[in-house]
Amino acid sequence: MKRATSYILPVALVALGVLFPLFFGPYPQTVARTIFKYMALALTWDMLFRSGQVSFGIAGFFGLGTYAAALLALKAGFSYPLAILAGALISGIFAYILGFLVLRLRGTYFSITTLALAEIFRVILRNWTSFSGGPEGIVLPQIIFNGDSRCLYWIGLAVLLVVVVVSQYFEKSKLHFSLISIRDNEVSAQTSGVNIFRTLLVVFTVTSFLQGLIGAVDVVSVGYAMPDSAFDSNYTLLPLAMALLGGQHSTWGPIIGSVLLGVASEYLKLKIPYGHLLVYGVIIILVILFMPEGLIGLFRKKKGAKRG
Amino acid sequence: MKKFLILSALCIFLVSAAFGQGTIKIGGTWPLADVTGEQGSKAAQLAVEEINKAGGVLGRKLELIVIDDELKADKGVAAIEKLVTVDKVDFLMGGMGSGVALGQVPTMKKYQKIVISTGAASYKVEEALGKDADWYFHLHPWDYEQGASYLQGWNDIRKKYPAVKIDRMFLAYEEGAFGKASYDSSKVMFGKDYNFDGASFKSAALGGGDYSAMIEAAKAFKPDIFIWAGYDADALPMLEAAKAMKFNPPLFVGAPPGWPKDFGKSPLADNVMLYGMWAPSINDVNPVSLKFYNGFVAKYKAEPATYFAPLSYSAVYVLANALQKAGKAAFKADGSVDNAVVIKALEETKYLSALGETITFSPSNIIKHQGIRNQKILQWQNGRQEVIWPFEVQTKTPVYPFPAWK
Repeated sequence: MKRATSYILPVALVALGVLFPLFFGPYPQTVARTIFKYMALALTWDMLFRSGQVSFGIAGFFGLGTYAAALLALKAGFSYPLAILAGALISGIFAYILGFLVLRLRGTYFSITTLALAEIFRVILRNWTSFSGGPEGIVLPQIIFNGDSRCLYWIGLAVLLVVVVVSQYFEKSKLHFSLISIRDNEVSAQTSGVNIFRTLLVVFTVTSFLQGLIGAVDVVSVGYAMPDSAFDSNYTLLPLAMALLGGQHSTWGPIIGSVLLGVASEYLKLKIPYGHLLVYGVIIILVILFMPEGLIGLFRKKKGAKRG
Repeated sequence: MKKFLILSALCIFLVSAAFGQGTIKIGGTWPLADVTGEQGSKAAQLAVEEINKAGGVLGRKLELIVIDDELKADKGVAAIEKLVTVDKVDFLMGGMGSGVALGQVPTMKKYQKIVISTGAASYKVEEALGKDADWYFHLHPWDYEQGASYLQGWNDIRKKYPAVKIDRMFLAYEEGAFGKASYDSSKVMFGKDYNFDGASFKSAALGGGDYSAMIEAAKAFKPDIFIWAGYDADALPMLEAAKAMKFNPPLFVGAPPGWPKDFGKSPLADNVMLYGMWAPSINDVNPVSLKFYNGFVAKYKAEPATYFAPLSYSAVYVLANALQKAGKAAFKADGSVDNAVVIKALEETKYLSALGETITFSPSNIIKHQGIRNQKILQWQNGRQEVIWPFEVQTKTPVYPFPAWK
């Protein structure tokens, strides 16, 4: 019975999500699409963070997926669905190969190496003008579904649902225990039979695949790619802030954080057009300072205190 | 008391509804955290207020609704969606970054609202628009037009002032889209007539600020003219670096979209040349510029620091004049805009703008309605930007060569 009721909220939310465009116009759909994008990125970041590894490579793999899909569609004549899949695969394969090098690193070394990724990709694509269009980027002949805002919304939602399902699988499967044990103490994890390198490689590859998928869907939805926008540091920093606000090491945390920050960003922009970014920045700083474990952490603490 | 409150509320509702129905709505998107968008949107608001004070357009008030595009394509798209579907604007306006415009173009195509664009210099935007976008009126020059106007400007200056010698040209460019596009178009444009070279640098605005390698390359090239294409944050540090490295080209030219607010007060600024569309010195030769300048300073207690301010101000007047010209036919019986009528009126635009030139529309490489095609060559002299070229709006003769560092 308890198991059945635990599905009610997620199923209701998915139904609401699917039906949303039938009740709301193109503007809320576009805002929701942006929130979905950051929410999915925040979840992918959190999935790896559950092992204790802080990756700053989100923008790198997002941008790689963006460019791979755009170039394959434009230069190799791939259909958009195929280009999306290929963009995601290229990100995943690249992460798998890279994983052999960077997953030997830990802590700050790992974080800084992943941080450099976006910059390396950006510099290459900026300067390889004949291939990538250079700093001015490339423009696709048309956007997917001819720009129909409902279809763009639904494809954004579909990608998010894929990410949520993977995140839930990570949370509910035995992988979850491997990740926690790596985060808590690598030596004891190893002595308990956890193959640390293989576990991290799987998670790093899967999350990078998903980041590439999000980027690939994004590029066919906006119709162009530029190095400065595809590898924008916002794609790293905002998902991180969202995950921290909502609460780390869970699926719900990044979801809640993304909705709150996404809606707050749009609301503040309309209410304080000339100073909203400042207010938004202050909110993020305050949240990180005073709620380091996020809303979910706060909720867990209160729940624990009540029981105690 | 209760009755009085209800009646008051009803009155307020009816009055606001009556006014709301009568307004002609313009939806503007600019990057409001950037000086170009902040001042551009404020200048557009100033124009709207001036026009409304003078009786409005076709007996109706103008209303400008501004949304921040945050220099991000997704935010720019959401802004257009809101303006069109929620605020129900009649016209669209604004813009600065080409990346945002590229993201917005498909949505603009979907709604086909008349757009008066104040930004987006990249030819990629023109390609994305295509030749059928007759509802798009682009005020800002395209990148290739800017390059052509600089070539013409320097050629004219050389002719008028034979002492000015330009054979070797060096272009330092920030490594992003803006700088690289400037370099590419300049290379095509100037490469034929000049000995042309260049080097990139990472802009201080984007976390860089070390110009030494680039300046070394420029020094070795011994240019007659040194031009840098970066951002306002590079202006002073680059001059400091040039001074420290004793780099003293005969012509030192900067081409950022905007300058630091107090740049003119720095002793390093004197005799630096620059590209731009407007400077306060144009007030001396153009009454529209003076009216705009005085209005802006009076309302916002700050001097316009970027040409996007008079450009956006002009955009509102261009639209208002066209609507006035089109008359009641500009709007259909159901209140929607008759695009064909307004487009025709806009095509007949001949507006002496605050930028010091008359705005008209004619085809560019792809689109049908291109407005301004020239940038100006200016020079900082005694803390003021003086116009050197075009000579029709010249306010001072050039100081040449760039004096040696003291």
